[in-house]
Amino acid sequence: MAIPHPRDIQLAVVNWLDDRYPFTKAVDEALYQRVPNFANAFYYCFGGMVFILIVLQLLTGVFLSFYYVPDAGTPGNSPAYNSVLFIQNTQYLGWLIRGTHFWGANLLIIMVLIHMARVYWTGSYRAPRELNWIVGVIMLLCILLLSLTGYLLPWDNKAYFATQVTIKIGGLTPPPQLGALIREILQGGAVVGPATLQRFFTIHVFLLPALIVLLMYVHFRFIRAHGISEPM
Amino acid sequence: MADAAAPKRVTRRTFLGWWMAALLTSTVVTALAPLLLYLWPAPPKSQKKGLLTISVPKPLSQLADGEALKFDAPSNPNSAFIMADGGGDNAAGELAFGGYAVNNKGKIDVFAITCSHLGCSIALNEQARRFDCPCHGSRFNLDGTVLRGPAPAPLSHLTWKEGTDPNTIQVDGIVLGF
Repeated sequence: MAIPHPRDIQLAVVNWLDDRYPFTKAVDEALYQRVPNFANAFYYCFGGMVFILIVLQLLTGVFLSFYYVPDAGTPGNSPAYNSVLFIQNTQYLGWLIRGTHFWGANLLIIMVLIHMARVYWTGSYRAPRELNWIVGVIMLLCILLLSLTGYLLPWDNKAYFATQVTIKIGGLTPPPQLGALIREILQGGAVVGPATLQRFFTIHVFLLPALIVLLMYVHFRFIRAHGISEPM
Repeated sequence: MADAAAPKRVTRRTFLGWWMAALLTSTVVTALAPLLLYLWPAPPKSQKKGLLTISVPKPLSQLADGEALKFDAPSNPNSAFIMADGGGDNAAGELAFGGYAVNNKGKIDVFAITCSHLGCSIALNEQARRFDCPCHGSRFNLDGTVLRGPAPAPLSHLTWKEGTDPNTIQVDGIVLGF
């Protein structure tokens, strides 16, 4: 018997799957799209870089959550802080996963701003693409909120007092009654404490990632519907 | 002519195809395998095996026939006993968080508290001179052998010796470190 070429095995697997659901057709329709020549420039890649960075954040975030403990504990003995120390110093490659998540978050904001600047300079926000600009701005807010909530999770002094400052700023929303309400809701109590960590963890890990994935899907469907905007 | 008619088992194209497939696969595996190691938890730094000192109300040598003492693994620091043997759901090297020291007609035995069926904690039935499991009704003789199923195997022993203080025993165990 002749030994098959790897491609024959690959074809056999794909054919088996295609007989049961038209995967090839679905993937072709989703991915094979002609890119116009004017979009063949490096500054049209910034949005894709943002996408890759978000995927990287999702993956490293899941990896971090295997060891992170969202429990403030008691003063001087905080499982949250200890688990971050464990990831950083003890767990194999933990420094790399956490470092990638940290620097990825910083890079992400930079890339989002560069992507936004490109969209502005090529006038890609104009009719009929306004909705996509709006979705993009909401995602920018999501990413800023992710940065804010993620900053508290190590539960060290820097995290604690930085969050105290940002919550105070949120509490300045006029009128004062509304400001106090916002502060109370964010803090989950009268002061920044264990309840705040729990809330920020849930927002950072469950709420915002789900929202941003949903919005990314909407963002990409809009792009497919409109096509890439022509330069001015 | 005969050679040309017979198909070659490995053509140059097939060989190169497998070579490329192996190269790509090994590259991806080399890059991603360390990430799988990340998922493998490092043992806590303060984890260590050794003898755990357990206080008992009276020296085991003073246990009357059919009398048993129940004791727990220390919770500060969080510790567990290591089974010396086992069968069914128990196995040598597995952990138990409690034990029974029992005098069976003059012979002192120390058992892990976990039933060999599904790991529930057995309890002494002093009148009937046996251990009963509350979960599925298994019964064990005081020497650890099965009196009634569903337990498939006898109770696991714990390795122990008398402590320096007569009111303590030392049992083989592990400080979990968390």
